[in-house]
Amino acid sequence: MKTKIFTLSLLALFISTVSCSSDDDKNTVAPVVTTKVSNVYAPQTGGQGQPVGGEFTKFSFSENKIVTDDNWDIAFRGTSVIVNGGTKISATDAGEPERKGQGAVSIVSGIFANVTAFPASSTFAQDASGASAFPSSGDNVWYDYNGATHIISAKAGKVYVIKTHDGKYAKVEFLSYYKDAPATPDANSTARYYTFNFAYQANSTTTF
Amino acid sequence: MRIRITVFAVAFFCQISVSQEVKKDSVKTNELSEVKVTTATRTERVLSSLPLPMTIITSEAIIKSGVTRLNEILSEQTGIILIPDESGFEGIQMQGLDAAYTMILIDGVPLVGRSSGVLDLSRVSVGNIERIEIVKGASSALYGSEAMGGVINVITKRPKKDMFSGSLSYRYATFNTSDANTNLLWKKKKFAANLFANFYSTDGYDLDKSTPLKNVEPFYNFTIQPKIYYDFSENLKLIVNNRFYDMKMDNRAIIDAENYSGDAKEKEWNSQLKFEHKWNSKVYSEYEFYATNYKNDSFLKDENNVLFESAYYNQWLIRPEVRTTLSLKNDKLTGGVGVSYETLDRTYFEKQVNFNSQYVYLQYDYNPTEKWNILAGFRYDNHSEYASQFSPKLAVNYKVNENFSLKSSVGYGYKAPDFRQLYFDFTNPSVGYTVLGYNVAEDRLNQLDEQGQLLSRVSGVSFSDPLQPESSINVNLGTFYKKNKLRLDVNAFYNSIENLIDTRVVAQKTNGQNVFSYFNISKIFTYGLEFNSTYDFTKDLSVSFGYQFLTAKDKSVLDNFENYQYIRNSDLQTIQIKKSDYFGLYNRSKHTANVKFAYTIPKIKTDINLRVFYRSKYGMYDTNGNQILDKYDTFVDGYFLTNLSISKYIGDKFMLQAGANNLFDFTDPTQISNLAGRQLFARIQYNF
Repeated sequence: MKTKIFTLSLLALFISTVSCSSDDDKNTVAPVVTTKVSNVYAPQTGGQGQPVGGEFTKFSFSENKIVTDDNWDIAFRGTSVIVNGGTKISATDAGEPERKGQGAVSIVSGIFANVTAFPASSTFAQDASGASAFPSSGDNVWYDYNGATHIISAKAGKVYVIKTHDGKYAKVEFLSYYKDAPATPDANSTARYYTFNFAYQANSTTTF
Repeated sequence: MRIRITVFAVAFFCQISVSQEVKKDSVKTNELSEVKVTTATRTERVLSSLPLPMTIITSEAIIKSGVTRLNEILSEQTGIILIPDESGFEGIQMQGLDAAYTMILIDGVPLVGRSSGVLDLSRVSVGNIERIEIVKGASSALYGSEAMGGVINVITKRPKKDMFSGSLSYRYATFNTSDANTNLLWKKKKFAANLFANFYSTDGYDLDKSTPLKNVEPFYNFTIQPKIYYDFSENLKLIVNNRFYDMKMDNRAIIDAENYSGDAKEKEWNSQLKFEHKWNSKVYSEYEFYATNYKNDSFLKDENNVLFESAYYNQWLIRPEVRTTLSLKNDKLTGGVGVSYETLDRTYFEKQVNFNSQYVYLQYDYNPTEKWNILAGFRYDNHSEYASQFSPKLAVNYKVNENFSLKSSVGYGYKAPDFRQLYFDFTNPSVGYTVLGYNVAEDRLNQLDEQGQLLSRVSGVSFSDPLQPESSINVNLGTFYKKNKLRLDVNAFYNSIENLIDTRVVAQKTNGQNVFSYFNISKIFTYGLEFNSTYDFTKDLSVSFGYQFLTAKDKSVLDNFENYQYIRNSDLQTIQIKKSDYFGLYNRSKHTANVKFAYTIPKIKTDINLRVFYRSKYGMYDTNGNQILDKYDTFVDGYFLTNLSISKYIGDKFMLQAGANNLFDFTDPTQISNLAGRQLFARIQYNF
């Protein structure tokens, strides 16, 4: 009789302890989710020898949609990509939005899923007068332009870690510059429609 | 794998045939190797003992093939591949090096007129060619700049003894192509003359009938080459050699959905004055004065006949040269000195530019024993616009026995930065990007900046040091074998090229486009093996087989492969690839091969000539996002081409010929713009 009560109370204690443990498990952080965004239309006026103009198309990672207010993290116009941090690249460009946030960008080479750690803060660049944080030429520009076929293709293995306007982090990989992201774009493909993957880290950790 | 089997099969077959008793002495293959050639050493040398890799195309081979232009006959040779560039001009690729690196000579003097590095070889008619000598590998030790991949010398006919003979021919082919030739050779005692005239016209061809533009628009051209020879004495001879070429082509373009049409004209003349002076049995000199002018004019008008665009190109080269050969016992010492004055005036150049250079070269042809031949030489070029170049070369030939010899050579080659890379000033009117030559870039960038056209300039770009010439080291190792009916030629080659000039972005413009200039950027290497064999089965049937294996890669890609290791697969996802997946440079096929059958039926005086060519797959662009050609990219498939020609001789004077180029009508309209489809032809020739 005494042993039975003892065993039962031990069992009760054990169960309650285990139950407590389960509750603790529910407090760990869920992994970031990769979202594919298709056909973000980024028109521009001019080009072809004329000065470029038009409104930038603004996108927010936390809301996962195109926005028109100042809560944007990344914006597109033609092949130009900007962040919501620093200052306007061209002071006379009316279509370029003012920078109201802490946005910045750092470039990492690698496979999107394998980029988990945030790059060092010294590697982040903001837009400045005359210089865009997203390089427009050289090794780290996001696209290749083929002079013979006139096709713009997104470079493989370039992951852009973006500091959002409010200090959170997202990683972006551009997939295509053409509408509906054809595997082999040609002269009939419609340009200036961005397709990209992104993963947004809503929490304050330093990894994706 | 298939090529390998074929190679072994042919080699094996040749072995069996050679070991049989030879009843009739076949002279054909032996004759060819005893031909005297001059391009490799600037002196007369027997081909078989030459320590350099060389190919000859005889006039007989040219006539039997039925082709009419220089690019056509060159493309039929092992190791020479025709590559069209963006303007449609076909350039030749030799040992994996681009067209800009091969020098083209006519009777020993160079052709000019490379508007984008490539010479339009279709402007040379083959109607009066005696022989074409092709030297492969760096030949800057004799010929200077541009002779980095090799030298091709087109030698025209010259009357040797008192005679009056000539030929008239007319050839008609598909696409309304007409080719008419007249060649007259006359020699009487001290005077000799050669008059060649050619007229060529075609409707061009169109691989894609849905667009109003053709791949090649209709054009016509004519060539007149009068040559006069006068023998002052046995020891002093004069040659005056002139060549005039005139071409007119329809020019059509569609820009922003508007139709434009106009004309494009090419006008060229070459004039060579040469004295051949034999001082005595030991000393021989040549005094040469060469001048050439190449002009290219084109315009486009819109549908209302308003001028939209016009372009011109006017290049002069004036080059006097003196060379002397001293014969010392078995050896020869050759030296030359010359001056080169070159001017170019063209659209997209702010003003006419001039190049001035002086050069001297020396070559020692040393035969210490009967078995050994050593060729050592160098050339020194002093140039007004770029660093002086010293180009040495060393070649050795060892005659193992009567039938077999080994040869090896090492040489330095270079190609000077050309006018365009130094002085270009071009803004594309429809897209808006700008290309600036290296020497004018700094000033023009400052000018654009002051005009407010620049958004930013790339940091770290400096134009203070002069642009270096592209340079290469070339190594060849080969064998030469001939015995009775078989002739075999193998050459392994390696080229290491530095300071390749390519474009890089130097600034961004406010219109969203870039400003480019030229820099010494890349290091590439090419290596491979070239195999040529000819076998005379009987005196009526001769078969030749040629094969080239080629690898050409960018060294900086291999050294920095981590920058190129990611590609996009068909789902647009990034994946990683290995260094061994790097295929190499664009437009180079790993395997090219040719088989040629020459069959004579003496009873009916007919020759049948069948040639089959193979080119293995090659890549044109990067298609998967890593800026290099890797094995996962999209390739142009390998293909076969077959050319057939049948010639029949009627009596002594007439020849009838009919045939087909690209007999099986192979085309690849989307990827290969210079393959026109089947062309049937018929020709009649009268020799007197």
